[in-house]
Amino acid sequence: MTLLIAILIVPAVAGLGCLLVRTRQVMAAANVAAFGLTVALGVELLRRVVAPPHVVTECEEFFRADALSAWMVLLISVVSLGSALYAGNYFRRDLAAGAVTPGRVKEYFVLTPLFAAGMFLVVLVNNLGVMWFALEATALSSVLLVALYNRSTSLEAAWKYVMLGSLGLALALFGTVFTYAAAVDKTSPVLPSFNWSHLMSVAGQLDPRMIKLAFVFVLVGYGTKAGLAPMHTWLPDAHSEAPSPTSAMLSGVSLKVALYALLRFHILATACLGTSFSRTMLLVLGLGSMFLAAPFILVQNNLKRMLAYSSLEHIGLICVGVGLNSPVTIFGALLHMGYHALTKPTLFFAAGNIHQACHTLQMRLIGLGMAKVLPGTAVCMGLAAASITGLPPFGLFFSELTILSGGFAAGHAALSTLVLAALLAAFCGILYQLTRILPGIPRITRTSDATLTDGLPAMGLMLGTLAVFSLWLPAPLLQVMQQARDIIGGKP
Amino acid sequence: MTPLQSELASQWITLLAAGMLVVQLLMVVQGMLLTNIRLFALQSLMLAAIAAIIAFFHNATHVYWVAGLTLVGKVFFLPWLLNRQVRRIQIHEEIEPLLNSTASMLLCGGFTLLGYIVARPFTSLERLGNNTLGIAITLLLTGFFLMFNRRKAITQVLALLTVENGVMLAAVALTTYGMPLVVELGIFFDVMVAVMVLGILVYRIRETFASMDVDKLSQLKG
Repeated sequence: MTLLIAILIVPAVAGLGCLLVRTRQVMAAANVAAFGLTVALGVELLRRVVAPPHVVTECEEFFRADALSAWMVLLISVVSLGSALYAGNYFRRDLAAGAVTPGRVKEYFVLTPLFAAGMFLVVLVNNLGVMWFALEATALSSVLLVALYNRSTSLEAAWKYVMLGSLGLALALFGTVFTYAAAVDKTSPVLPSFNWSHLMSVAGQLDPRMIKLAFVFVLVGYGTKAGLAPMHTWLPDAHSEAPSPTSAMLSGVSLKVALYALLRFHILATACLGTSFSRTMLLVLGLGSMFLAAPFILVQNNLKRMLAYSSLEHIGLICVGVGLNSPVTIFGALLHMGYHALTKPTLFFAAGNIHQACHTLQMRLIGLGMAKVLPGTAVCMGLAAASITGLPPFGLFFSELTILSGGFAAGHAALSTLVLAALLAAFCGILYQLTRILPGIPRITRTSDATLTDGLPAMGLMLGTLAVFSLWLPAPLLQVMQQARDIIGGKP
Repeated sequence: MTPLQSELASQWITLLAAGMLVVQLLMVVQGMLLTNIRLFALQSLMLAAIAAIIAFFHNATHVYWVAGLTLVGKVFFLPWLLNRQVRRIQIHEEIEPLLNSTASMLLCGGFTLLGYIVARPFTSLERLGNNTLGIAITLLLTGFFLMFNRRKAITQVLALLTVENGVMLAAVALTTYGMPLVVELGIFFDVMVAVMVLGILVYRIRETFASMDVDKLSQLKG
């Protein structure tokens, strides 16, 4: 059976199928069903990748999945499933409040699966050029989602997102072209294969100067899409103005998918040039993002912007983990990707509930006492916040500890101390900010009892998965991460 | 292919690439939106001609596809689409750019130098024409500058498209045959969809702000 094609086709069909459907409930159900199916397919892919030869290829190697791809497929499908579960009721309330028109809601249910299909294509395709246009497709499908509310601010956010994103992707395309040029054999008229697996097999013969130039372009380009500082300026705007389920997908996986593309080039550059060049650049950008994010978290007044800056910080940490380039830190970075993908959507779902109850995201206006107004939401938010700040027993505690201890063990004591400082600053920032809205005596009264359970299935799914995998990593999952670690770390 | 033919092809390519750069500089100093769109079409026509020359002299059929797609998409379809949009929203002239045209021209001269310096170590890798890579990088830099210098949404879209022309020029200059057809097709459709999505956004911005002046997009901070 063609597993990889199935993973791509299921969401695409669901998205296009929603074009024909009129009722919101059916569209929401189609989305949930499609992503439920991709989760199952992702698990099957995981099972196949764990077994030798550790690679699944289809269509004459056009599609290729190794452990790193399988890991990304799992993250994308789980986060998309959570968002789809949340979106149905979210838009029901939005429609009731008159915040969106039915046409826009349809747009959401059509574009979201296409957005996800684009992300699946990025991680499953072998050809670096196709990977580029898949990423561009994710940007184009998500930009209309960011502009969904059609407010002046959301249009502004969408414009910045698409302009900066396209600029970044243009740079990445330059880098992709340079990479391809490095592989062209000057004497033979035959076009070389543009497959990542082929380039890796000839990495030693590629022109090193060209690969260096290419990596710089790709780093800035895909780095923009991944939201690394100082190219991050679109990120807080887009994440705060998008509808909450879209914010969850942007923050939970879209950033990581761009990072995945960057990692593929990092692996190639490392294989071609030796270890120090690309990893140093990842380290610098990663640390820069962490230090830039921390103060913005502390002074932020908009709830979803604060969460967006927190994502910036975590993406920075993942880059640092990869940049430190010891097996332990890379493993920590992969673990961190997973736990962050499970935690951040919960926070955005909770923020969405608060937004709908209070009609604002300004924490000053939301005021104290959300725990009394929306108890279920507040409990989930509190738990997710404990996780995102890195408190035990949640997974992010372990992954951060892994990265830090790996950093110290590899002899990067000063660097690891800096990372710890940035983490502490963000920890204080998020906890301080949430004490401004969760506890205390509420300013507004509870509107209806229906708000008590809203979004709980989605948040429960994410938090439950997080709790289970924080305490227990099943053997295949552990194995796939170890394989992915070896791929990034440069072992064959 | 005889050496003479190869020399001829190379000179044509160099000439056309230089033409693309000249058109780009004209766009930097030109304020009328409709003229800018025509200049973009002219630049794309030169790119298509470069691709056609390569296809002809090297007998590479798939590069004819690239030439054809560029001709249909970027010389006819996109300019037509943008023209229609400009007419529909009734704004023809760019407001005062950030830098006046003299300063812009000087700056772009600097960018050209920079582009050539960056491309210098790689001239030995170029397979066609002289300094086409330098021009490609210059198109990238001046495209970025154009984007930051102008305030109208449509000019920013045009600037993005010229950057894309630069990428395509780099692709043919460095690899002779461009990229595999599946990649070229993908890029082509992405650019078409991108411009349509941007068009939708420009239209909505125009409806909401009663302007397509991106200076108005400044509420989100911090």
